[in-house]
Amino acid sequence: MSTAMPNADRPKGLTLADILVTLVVAVVFGIIYRIWNPMYDILKPLGLHAEQLSYGMWFMAGTFAFLLIRKPGAALLAETAAAALEAFMGGSWGASTLVYGVLQGLGAEIIFAAFLYRKAGPIVTVLASLGSAFVSIFIDAHYSYIDKMTAWNYTLFVSMRLLGSVVIAGLFAWALAKALERTGVLSLIRPASAKDYEALG
Amino acid sequence: MHLTFSHRETWLHRVNPTLKLAVSVLLFVAALFVHNPNVMALLAAASLLPLLATGHPPLRVLLYASPFLLVFISSASGMIMFGTGATLWFELGLIRITEESFYRGLHLGLRSLQVAAVGLAFALTTRPVALFYSLMQQLRMPSKYAYSFLAALNMVPLLADEFFTLRQALQIRGAGPGRKGIYGRLRMYALPLLAQSIRRAQRTAAAMEARRFRSGSGKRTYYYVYGWSRIDALYAVSIAALWLLAWLLGTHYPLLAATDVR
Amino acid sequence: MKAADIILKGCIRSHTPTNGGEIGAASTPLAALAPAIGSGRLPSMTNASGTGTERPRHADEAVPAAKRPTPPVQHAGPAARVENLRLRYPGEDTPLLFKGLSLTIERGQKVLLLGPSGCGKSTLLQVLGGLVPAAIRIPMKADCCLVPARPGYVFQDPDSQFCMPYADEEIAFALENAGIAREEMPARISRCLEAVGLCLADPHFPVAGMSQGMKQRLAIAAMIAMEPDALLLDEPTALLDEEGTRQVWSSLRSVWGGRTVIIVEHKIAGIAEDMDRVIVFGPDGSIQADGSPRLVFREHRELLREYGIWYPGFWEDYDRNAAIRPAATAPSSGVRSAELLLELDGLEGWRGGRPKVRTGPLAVNAGDWIAVTGVNGAGKSTLLLAIMKLIKTKGSLYIPGIPVQSLKKPGDMAKHAALSFQNPEFQLVTDSVLDELAYSLPRSLREPERSSRARTLMENYALDGLGGRHPYQLSMGQKRRLSVATAMVGGQRLLLLDEPTFGLDASGTVRMMEQLERLRSGGCAILMITHDPELVRRFATRQWLVDGGLVAERSGGTACI
Repeated sequence: MSTAMPNADRPKGLTLADILVTLVVAVVFGIIYRIWNPMYDILKPLGLHAEQLSYGMWFMAGTFAFLLIRKPGAALLAETAAAALEAFMGGSWGASTLVYGVLQGLGAEIIFAAFLYRKAGPIVTVLASLGSAFVSIFIDAHYSYIDKMTAWNYTLFVSMRLLGSVVIAGLFAWALAKALERTGVLSLIRPASAKDYEALG
Repeated sequence: MHLTFSHRETWLHRVNPTLKLAVSVLLFVAALFVHNPNVMALLAAASLLPLLATGHPPLRVLLYASPFLLVFISSASGMIMFGTGATLWFELGLIRITEESFYRGLHLGLRSLQVAAVGLAFALTTRPVALFYSLMQQLRMPSKYAYSFLAALNMVPLLADEFFTLRQALQIRGAGPGRKGIYGRLRMYALPLLAQSIRRAQRTAAAMEARRFRSGSGKRTYYYVYGWSRIDALYAVSIAALWLLAWLLGTHYPLLAATDVR
Repeated sequence: MKAADIILKGCIRSHTPTNGGEIGAASTPLAALAPAIGSGRLPSMTNASGTGTERPRHADEAVPAAKRPTPPVQHAGPAARVENLRLRYPGEDTPLLFKGLSLTIERGQKVLLLGPSGCGKSTLLQVLGGLVPAAIRIPMKADCCLVPARPGYVFQDPDSQFCMPYADEEIAFALENAGIAREEMPARISRCLEAVGLCLADPHFPVAGMSQGMKQRLAIAAMIAMEPDALLLDEPTALLDEEGTRQVWSSLRSVWGGRTVIIVEHKIAGIAEDMDRVIVFGPDGSIQADGSPRLVFREHRELLREYGIWYPGFWEDYDRNAAIRPAATAPSSGVRSAELLLELDGLEGWRGGRPKVRTGPLAVNAGDWIAVTGVNGAGKSTLLLAIMKLIKTKGSLYIPGIPVQSLKKPGDMAKHAALSFQNPEFQLVTDSVLDELAYSLPRSLREPERSSRARTLMENYALDGLGGRHPYQLSMGQKRRLSVATAMVGGQRLLLLDEPTFGLDASGTVRMMEQLERLRSGGCAILMITHDPELVRRFATRQWLVDGGLVAERSGGTACI
């Protein structure tokens, strides 16, 4: 007997559909962030870093995209795309977003890779969000001299950003991915299992 | 993105998009190594100059550039009020402005201004289609990424519309029991938009494959071809000249007291 | 040969296929197109079925070379064939979509696939063109799977078929994929656009600025640019209005020539007579009828009605058999209770700093079913948003017994009126149908009554048995009914609907209309935007015409759109 399906294995690498889904996830979070959160630049001058709590939204595209696609490269691609879109729409942070985006995406990607892309639970997601957050703090230390803040302010900045990342890019992303799974739209994203083929007889 | 508005094409539009992108990113990285606020001020001014050559009417450029003020303030103020420093100028509760923190804050504001101006000049003179065609041709970006980016950009206006409709729908639906809090609100907005656009992404992918789009295999021809020309050299040289000038003037004829904010 | 049996059993060709061997002389722009589009090989157009048309998916299923039909004879072999196809969506308890289906489509045949929603016809179309499983990985097995060498597709949704922002770039994308030289592109692009009747002064025309009908024609142009030997059309008119539908069919007719055409569609009025063969699938994905259109529409009318297909004469049959007498035709329609529910006088809806729509003095009484009609962009949706106070308004809106100042915000209006958006998903906020209904019930309601009320609603809206289902996994018709149910839970008596039957099949439409009629006869008033004259004629008691932003009552019984 012959079968029309090449093989039941998960296709290697990101397929065209995977890429498009990843990019669209980045667009959705970009739009929600942009429309819902114009507070960022207004809160920031206060210097009390309340705006840092929402910073995790920037890392969310990466962790969330991985939770959907579960393949190497998804987190990096989503973060890069979110940044590229932001830059293209004339976002006021210009080319810097691109550098931030790529490196933050790498931060999350490394964590998922460390678990061989097999784990997608809340703990790994939180770790990945922290990966992004640490990278962003590292760039900020160079860009914004944040290490030259007074000690209490510096600590506040770092803890607010980490907290925001854990909650939004970690826990929210995980819960949202679960909720999305229940809608059934992911059925064609996840590769079919060998069991699916056995059922065909 | 801004191409939806009519504007004059200038020589900046004809610069190779990949070069423009590379230069914009390089300028950001280079700005990280500038610690002299005198140089930074001149760099910021130098980066605002090309905005006049984008071919967009000055009033529109001013409109796009209006958030720059906010960017400047938001980047500068935190450091000015809460940065470290020895020479105390002013103190009120937690706020503690020192000479060092002031100049460091100013420097940060100028740096953000510079980065924003470079980014805006890029966005105003580069069509996304041109950028991704050029990236495929000059940097061998795999075509499946390039066209997917373009397809995703097409969905932005659709999604923005959907966001507003969704907001109206939720306004009517009202707040029932439960579903409060940040996550509840995020979910209410994100879930319908995500579900809708993931389905749309899958349909678009199918439509692209149905047009026999196969990444990698076979020869691709291009509707638009981008290469190198004398304009690219002119662009690279003029950017380099502006930077050199700013650096020389800034180090030799400083206007501000501070020369290193570190 | 199982496949052949089925064909022989069912397929009685009623008239000779369009043009047979005289495609080259077809009186369509296609003839003019052929030399330009043919990739250098002149005969490639006249014999779409040339060598290499059959591309077996696997070596072991390959038809021996000797058996391959030689060109250029039309109908000298299958364009597509599946044997013993088994297919099912991945997941725990999804049913088999096809259990051993065999089907052969002859070259040059024009085939229409019909069946109830969810029977798998669209998926089958993707199998027949090779998209499944090559591009879309749905688990499937088949003993034989033969697909056309160069299938071309047009899909349902005009908003998700394009990856480029401009018309010329979109067609160029197809040409690039085919490796056409750049110098040839502009000429080919204009010819493709011309062939489908898209006369753009400049082909560099933004896709976002096109109507849905224009977008679908652009999709056809992009398909033609690839010189397909088979056209596979997946409900290309499902989301279009009458005008767009007409244009799409006429574009398709003018380009298809002697090619194989396989169409999946619910709205078949404009196309059925051009088909050589109609295949009707049952809900389980099995073939229920297969033959010439005349034969199928004569012998299997009952089947078509049951499966919710808009066959010619659907409404006449409905009028004879309807369980519910529509208001417009019921004898009592003239006798309305005069209870006033809503009064508008000079109400203006503002958008972008300008009044977009303005009403005259209009009253809505209980028992009214008002059809809101008008061309696209006239301001129909804006009117509904204005009534709900979702946009800036001026002028007066009055509801008896309610002070004007507590009708200012959408939240206030929502207590008296319900609005059902075109995309019902936007109004659904929970994880299950039961929760969705319970969510809307008044907070004061305690638990046992709460779920029992929700259950009653499910029965009333023909959603029984779906309580545990996620709202997003319902069919479009079910989603729309659920969104109406949740909107009306608070006892509102005014129901505003934005094209409630848009994209629904016939049975979904009838269900929705009958549900609305029950609400109307129960004392509600309905304001419904629609483009369908049949609905206006059958169900509406009044008609408001929106013309250039002005809303006025259309008097004189006949429906006019």
